[in-house]
Amino acid sequence: MMAIRLRDLSACFEGVIPSIIATAAADGSPNISYLSHVVLVDDERIALSNQFFSKTAANVRANPAAAVLVVDPRNGEQYRLDVSFEQTLDSGELFDEMAVQLRASSAQLGMGEVMRLRGVDIYRVSALNAVPSPSTVQAYSPATTGPQLAAMAAVSRGICQASDVDSVVDSVLEGLQTLQYGNAMLLLTEPDSDRLVTIGTRGYERSGIGSEVVIGEGVIGMAAQERRPIRISDMSRVQRFGSAVQTSSAEENRTRTISLPGMPDAMSQLALPMIAQGTLRGVLFLESCRRLAFTREDEAALSIIAMQAAAALALAGDESGEAQPVSSLVATGATKPGGPIRVVHYAYDDSIFIDNDYLIKGVPGRLLIYLLRTYLREGRSEFSNREIRLADELRLPDVKDNLETRLLLLRRRLEEKAAPVQLLHVGRGRVRLELAGPVLLDKAAGGTD
Amino acid sequence: MQINHDIAVFMTSPVMIVLGTSDDASQPAIGRAIGALVQKDEGSIDLMVSEWQWPATVANVRANGRLAATFARPSDYVSFQVKGRAAVLPATAEHLSSAARYVERITATLEGLGLDGRIVTPWFVNRDLVAVRLPVDEIFVQTPGAKAGQLVERQ
Repeated sequence: MMAIRLRDLSACFEGVIPSIIATAAADGSPNISYLSHVVLVDDERIALSNQFFSKTAANVRANPAAAVLVVDPRNGEQYRLDVSFEQTLDSGELFDEMAVQLRASSAQLGMGEVMRLRGVDIYRVSALNAVPSPSTVQAYSPATTGPQLAAMAAVSRGICQASDVDSVVDSVLEGLQTLQYGNAMLLLTEPDSDRLVTIGTRGYERSGIGSEVVIGEGVIGMAAQERRPIRISDMSRVQRFGSAVQTSSAEENRTRTISLPGMPDAMSQLALPMIAQGTLRGVLFLESCRRLAFTREDEAALSIIAMQAAAALALAGDESGEAQPVSSLVATGATKPGGPIRVVHYAYDDSIFIDNDYLIKGVPGRLLIYLLRTYLREGRSEFSNREIRLADELRLPDVKDNLETRLLLLRRRLEEKAAPVQLLHVGRGRVRLELAGPVLLDKAAGGTD
Repeated sequence: MQINHDIAVFMTSPVMIVLGTSDDASQPAIGRAIGALVQKDEGSIDLMVSEWQWPATVANVRANGRLAATFARPSDYVSFQVKGRAAVLPATAEHLSSAARYVERITATLEGLGLDGRIVTPWFVNRDLVAVRLPVDEIFVQTPGAKAGQLVERQ
């Protein structure tokens, strides 16, 4: 029989079934306690969170020998580890990682008392044995590992072919589908804002494009704030608030807010920060209705995808390859025969309603109004990113205006709403308006021109 | 020590029972018990343990008697730890039937919390059952939180 390695037991460290630790004081008197968090460090070490001054912590400082029992949540099999206390860490990568995970799970559990991590106790594992069980013949088989490297490489090749924000987002989300991750969202940071905005999703009833997450809130917001992956393996105890949230158009019209899509019965979630050049670009988020859907291996593999996507997005945002100003724009009418389209613009938040349906607000809203006004004034329907960027009336911040992302957001939202106004991507750095009828542009009270 | 009625009720309800022992070199070991039987007159509890599954636990108690037992309610993690000097006894018919009842009740409790019954079977093994008699000398609060480790009663 093959010796069991610690890494083969990674499912035992997902926090689904509580682990147990036994210690003994200097005089040999034992103590036994359940553990909230045990982390697999490597093949020789585990780490225990220490939130409270406990008997366990006191015992191992006097007598480092301890025993730990971990349970595989997939089949209930038990493993005993002979361990020896090595040291306590109160800072560093591992400490930060555990502190974030602890905060995320206490927030998820709706625990009023914030569990502050005092220290991370590192133990060396000297022996690892399966506890006998008559119910199964214990022929040990290694746990299935996460995504295959070859499949990850294929996804990576797709991402590196993408040259604009649009195709980067799609190649990431399509890639996740080929890896059998059914539900995923990609959110991007907004410059000068405390929010992330959803730019693409897969697997949900509605795409939720344009929905926002406040940085620091929820699993997605926390991963953005801490710039660390957050993984939840069993949400069965989590208080669910989402199910009652209305997602109708009427609700969007009333609140001028698009709600985040989500699985009402999600059991596992994984949020991965997307960082390039040291800057947070967004968050890649996955969820599943299965317990333990995302292993440590998944987290590691998908982190690589998330970071590559961030780099690709940073490059796509670079204007060097952008189209030159269009010298001879054809003044073709973009209008197809149809009834008039009523577009209302509320200047105070730049929110747009098309035929009484809420579309979007903020910079993407301002962009649409600019395009429509120019169309009505000059009769042309094709625009270069460059002229849009230079337009005074848009009040775009000079640098890093994220124009391509905003146009993409606008385009996708128009698409999702099947609006009578559509925006088409016609080559790099160029867009075209398509209208299903004549446009009536209305300024609501407080509008400016 | 006279066992407080509420604590006796708690210990014999469907709670998880885990055992800590240590050998003569102070190396600790972990085991599980499948049920508790309160001996009111003696102020002790009998814990039913599979010697086949947890040989180190039973051997340690035989060698030096040192035992810590934690009783944890799965629904809310309310926990108590009892410590004392224990002895190993052969399991009687009463122990066996009490263990069988416990396994039924704890399995139903855990299933009620969403765990698959097949997953919990490896934790409640009755092969080669012995009774470990633990005089209740000290009881500690073990519920996770700031009060963990606080002494409730001492003889």
